[in-house]
Amino acid sequence: MSNVNITTFTIVVILFVIVTGVGFAAARWRRAENMMHLDEWGLGGRGFGTFITWFLLGGDLYTAYTFIAVPALVFGSGSIGFFAVAYTIMVFPVVFIFLPRLWSVCRAHGYVTPADFIRGRYGSRGLALASAFTGILALMPYIALQLVGIQAVLTVMGVGTSSDNTFVKDLPLFVAFLVLAIFTYVSGLRAPALIAFVKDTLIYLFVIVAVFYIPTRLGGWGHIFGVAQAHYASVNPLTNKPFGTFIPTSGSVGSTRFDFASLALGSAVALFLYPHAITGTLAAKRRSVVKRNMIYLPMYSVLLALIALFGYMAIADPTTAANIKKAGNAQLAVPYLFQHMFPSWFTGIAFAGIIIGALVPAAIMSIAAANLFTRNVFTEFFKPDASPALQTRMSQWVSLVVKLGALLFAVELPHTFSINLQLLGGIWILQLGPMLIGGLFTRWFHRWALLTGWLAGMVFGTLAAYNVATPTASHWAGSSDIEFGHTVYIGLSAVLINLVIAVVLTLILRAAKVPEGADETLPHQYTADPDGVPAPTPAGVGAGGV
Amino acid sequence: MTQATARSRSAIAAHPVISTAIAILVAADIFFSLYTPLYARLTPKLGDFPFFYWYLLIFMPITSLALWLAMTLQKRLGTPDNTSEDAR
Repeated sequence: MSNVNITTFTIVVILFVIVTGVGFAAARWRRAENMMHLDEWGLGGRGFGTFITWFLLGGDLYTAYTFIAVPALVFGSGSIGFFAVAYTIMVFPVVFIFLPRLWSVCRAHGYVTPADFIRGRYGSRGLALASAFTGILALMPYIALQLVGIQAVLTVMGVGTSSDNTFVKDLPLFVAFLVLAIFTYVSGLRAPALIAFVKDTLIYLFVIVAVFYIPTRLGGWGHIFGVAQAHYASVNPLTNKPFGTFIPTSGSVGSTRFDFASLALGSAVALFLYPHAITGTLAAKRRSVVKRNMIYLPMYSVLLALIALFGYMAIADPTTAANIKKAGNAQLAVPYLFQHMFPSWFTGIAFAGIIIGALVPAAIMSIAAANLFTRNVFTEFFKPDASPALQTRMSQWVSLVVKLGALLFAVELPHTFSINLQLLGGIWILQLGPMLIGGLFTRWFHRWALLTGWLAGMVFGTLAAYNVATPTASHWAGSSDIEFGHTVYIGLSAVLINLVIAVVLTLILRAAKVPEGADETLPHQYTADPDGVPAPTPAGVGAGGV
Repeated sequence: MTQATARSRSAIAAHPVISTAIAILVAADIFFSLYTPLYARLTPKLGDFPFFYWYLLIFMPITSLALWLAMTLQKRLGTPDNTSEDAR
């Protein structure tokens, strides 16, 4: 730990301690009379207004992926990384179409997880289990990616010893992680909701400062774009191809416009199929709160676009580019850039922002995975008479187990592997599209057709991703491959296969009059806006107050 | 859409212009960010920003505005959303 900057380190530690305090204090925030209910621990009392939901969803959706992986992709490949920007624009009109319906039907029936809805809509335990399994499977590497993001910051800080012993080497990560695990256990969804305020303040602060300050040090935006454009046009001696693209190309193979659009659309549809995004949504008090957030959340997308541009700044700054090259890890682009550009005290604020920015979504993801396990595996198959208190206790413990699993992922597996798994997670979660989004609008699909389509999509997507190779990696090298002569996002081609099978089999099964299962939802429940249905009302803070 | 409620179906029938406007607003939002040939180019520049980059940045407040309009119009359709006057 010889090259640790004391100022940076101290500021990170102080901010971390503050956040820990907030995390534990959150247990008392908007406290309900009976906390041992999943609506309380897992959904924060289902009473968050527009303002809190905005922070919660913003903290939930914009993760270490945003702060670390997107600029890393931009640094490594150029304009294709900006698909994330187009995707965070597109996602809001896309979910505007279906998310309010999901909120309404879940509120009307007291559903806690997306699999609860599948169960109720199709009367199929198998389909619900498949969706719960997919959700948990896709969340594990996503949580691990948050920890990898924290590790990237700690590496650049110089924290973490050079010891060969994994435990000693990653001790700071273990500490951060343990604190996260305990306050999530105690405070449930209230902890990340409250910490999100701290997170967003720090992140808005450092991004705005960086966007105005760093270009003045690097000769202005014109110079930054100029260097980037020249860099991506030059040829990489390893592959004999250009390093990347500055504008998506018009060809059919490579970083094309089509690939860009398919990645953006696939990711936009996938985002609110993730259980943690749905958890954040279901915690909203009213249907209009969900809609209003589709209007206000694009403000975060501006932030994401600016963060993506940090990738170009890292190219334009010779010292940062050299540091990243030496480390051989593009994930370090943003931490190295900040360390070189900012005075050490401000670097501390930025680093703390990234670390806390990874802890908030990790907490919500582990809660979402725990709720899925408790509701759709444990209660459904093992203990149908589980009381609300037992379900809550179970979720608390499962959230710990999930985080432990993600920690093992992050520490034991090579980092490229966890990032590839996260790409796979996106492909997997997209396979819930036909049953979940389809089910919100129509009961036409047959449950067994959906199950078969899901299975086909999962298998095709996994195999296709496995077979993606580059000159530097033989498998799992990306999330796009070539179908019918065009580079396209695998998630999108897999979900098309899924959908076609679901449609064809539905026609067959309906013709054969195979039982469809009972539907416990009613048409008007999809547009309902029930007021105050959830029993426990928060004491203390008044409606919508902060 | 077979499950659309009788209530909202009649709302659409009663306000065909408003319903179409909502659909166009949401669809246009998706189309103009999805159809990359529109913006995958260098010029015209805005300041030092190539077209591709400033287009995406400018599109975000436009998305907010379009969805705000869509939501405002929806209230006039008489869907249950119009009852919610809880500001937060």
